[in-house]
Amino acid sequence: MKKSRARSVFIGVCVAPAVILFIIFMLIPTFNVFKMSLYKWGGYSNNKEFVGFNNFKILIEDANFFRSFQNTVLLIVCVTIVTMALSLIFAAILSREKIRGQNFFRIVFYIPNILSVVVISAIFSAIYDPNNGLLNSILGIFRGADSDPILWLGDQKLVIYSLVIAMIWQAIGYYMVMYMASMASVPESLYESANLEGAGRIQQFFSITLPLIWTNVRTTLTFFVISSINLSFLFVKALTGGGPDGATEVFLSYMYKQAYTNSSYGYGMAIGVVVFLFSFGLSAVVNYATKREPLEF
Amino acid sequence: MKLKKVISLGMAALMTATLFAGCGDSGKKPEDTPNDNPPADTQQPADTPDESNEADNTDDAAGAGGEEQVLRVAAFEGGYGSDMWHEIAAAFEASHPGVKVELTVDKKIEDVISPSMKAGDYPDVVHLATGREAALTETLTKEKALLPLTDVLEMNVPGESVKVKDKIVPGFLDTLATNPYGDGVTYYAPMFYSPCGLFYNAGLFKEKGWTVPTTWEEMWALGETAKAEGIALFTYPTTGYFDAFTYATLSSAGGSDFFNSCMTYEDGIWESENATKVFNLIEKLGTYTESTTVANANNDNFTKNQQLILDNKAIFCPNGTWLPGEMAEAPRADGFEWGFMAIPAVNEGGAGCSFCWFEQMWIPAAAENQDMAKEFVAYMYSDEAAQIFAKSAAIQPIAGVSNYLEGDNKMFYSIYDNGATAVMGGFAATAPVEGVNMLDTLCGTVNSIVSGDKTVAEWQAAVEEASDKLRDAME
Repeated sequence: MKKSRARSVFIGVCVAPAVILFIIFMLIPTFNVFKMSLYKWGGYSNNKEFVGFNNFKILIEDANFFRSFQNTVLLIVCVTIVTMALSLIFAAILSREKIRGQNFFRIVFYIPNILSVVVISAIFSAIYDPNNGLLNSILGIFRGADSDPILWLGDQKLVIYSLVIAMIWQAIGYYMVMYMASMASVPESLYESANLEGAGRIQQFFSITLPLIWTNVRTTLTFFVISSINLSFLFVKALTGGGPDGATEVFLSYMYKQAYTNSSYGYGMAIGVVVFLFSFGLSAVVNYATKREPLEF
Repeated sequence: MKLKKVISLGMAALMTATLFAGCGDSGKKPEDTPNDNPPADTQQPADTPDESNEADNTDDAAGAGGEEQVLRVAAFEGGYGSDMWHEIAAAFEASHPGVKVELTVDKKIEDVISPSMKAGDYPDVVHLATGREAALTETLTKEKALLPLTDVLEMNVPGESVKVKDKIVPGFLDTLATNPYGDGVTYYAPMFYSPCGLFYNAGLFKEKGWTVPTTWEEMWALGETAKAEGIALFTYPTTGYFDAFTYATLSSAGGSDFFNSCMTYEDGIWESENATKVFNLIEKLGTYTESTTVANANNDNFTKNQQLILDNKAIFCPNGTWLPGEMAEAPRADGFEWGFMAIPAVNEGGAGCSFCWFEQMWIPAAAENQDMAKEFVAYMYSDEAAQIFAKSAAIQPIAGVSNYLEGDNKMFYSIYDNGATAVMGGFAATAPVEGVNMLDTLCGTVNSIVSGDKTVAEWQAAVEEASDKLRDAME
């Protein structure tokens, strides 16, 4: 009796640091975001006015918010699909095929991940430069040198895809390394027997590799949702500033604009709540939709 | 075994305890504020106050208490650099014994001071203009957290026998950029001003034998001539620069009363005839704008647009007097020479106009040393302070100060002597309206007008709608 009590005290003290940290740095701030979304507040003074769900009421009529919503969804969908496809392909090639300089490619693909987003934005600013940029110079060979330059960051229909490309370039290496790690644990014997049975490489990939790393793929899907929302803010901030005329405004950049530039902190927090629920909900849906019986090997 | 358990228990308890160690001190270490490494002598000029020294200060003109007073000043480090602020702090300390100025100068001053402000710890004086992205000044204005400066204006400038309000150039105190609520009460002290207008390469005009246009008709004619030579008439760094441009043209189109009606969101004002003239003008200007401008009109690439002027690829660019300094290191065409002119009159025979942008200094209502803060603001208008600022080309609206200038700067500041009307002010402060940002609607849309994604009618309607919403939030 006495011993078991001492034991629970011991356990309690041991987990206390983590629990306290979690409460202070996760639960209380999250709770505060939800609470502040119900107030009209500029962020500094003590004049907080409780307005109930008014901020959310304004939000559902705010065309600019919906534009940022659309842009974010577009980014999540495009970046996830393309990045996942490419990094799966690269991972499969690098871990299954014998090619010269495997390690070199592995490093090259991973480098964008080490660079800060601001550096990547500067690189892409140079690539997208309408007059001397890499992209327009190459396209100029086919389109003729004196054709009108393509405004990668100026055309409102194009600019969001320019952002997609930069984000994919940045993300591929990270996911590739993750997929490679789990591909490495797939037993070689499975491929050998598949070879004997006459399965081609593509069939091996879909019948062996993909099902066996499925849990890993599922996990990365949640990462995709979260990182697309987070990174798109950084890219937008550094590359386009939300422009031209709001064409690249995303969730968090719009939230920042409202909370700070427009002095509506409470409204910004309401956007934060929507982002929170959206990313939670989307992750849950994705998780549920991709649920499979885990395969043992 | 038992010992081992006791030890690990103790360790865990220690870990928990150290968690709170960081919470005790609320960062009350003034020395820790990023000080931009002030020269050693300005750091603590009279920092060895022995008892007798302190006793002398009790009946000081500043009316301060017996102990050393600490005045906390936060200043934005703009294009003029931070040295002048350290000099000012030293000079203020020298003229006010017993006062120690604790200076924080930073290019992102709002990021440095706002965390402690949120915790209720405010600086005494802040030098930070409106129109910054983080909008700290506007936020405090909207929250009514500023101290009225009415009695500062009535104070004598320290060391001189002139009242502050008599020293400031007339006109600077009757604008929405000093009296943000439009009720005649001054909350922002006008600091360094800079005329905004159109910059061009005067060398190019000489080389081609063109004359500088003075009306918009001549402007369009020049646009056609230049187009034939592959030069665009116009470019802009980012749409943010259209505030000054629009304010000036609005004032030119309808006069200063009309301009003030626009700034105070009068009903229907943005759909009036005069406003329409301005919208149409900008649309037409859009057709003469260099084709890659929109793609570079962001914070990362705006210098590429400014470079177009230096490379003779575009003729005019709206900007403020800081532009030559900003582009000082940039390569330029042979024979390049800065030219600067006011924006041509919108109405035939009217006067050209130039928006006068200025930075502001204010005192938070929550400041601790309000009296000393007021003294500091008044001191800004002393000849001594003005000369220190002028050395860094930071010009205050004090009569005669622009005489200290030399070279290009003299030409920029003489713009009003050549017949251009000075336009000052900005949108009136309102309570925050969620999702409505007037400057974004008015200026940001220019990108869409130039690229043809929106029509003038849509733009005008959106501005009027924003104006309607903001009018309701005005008090």
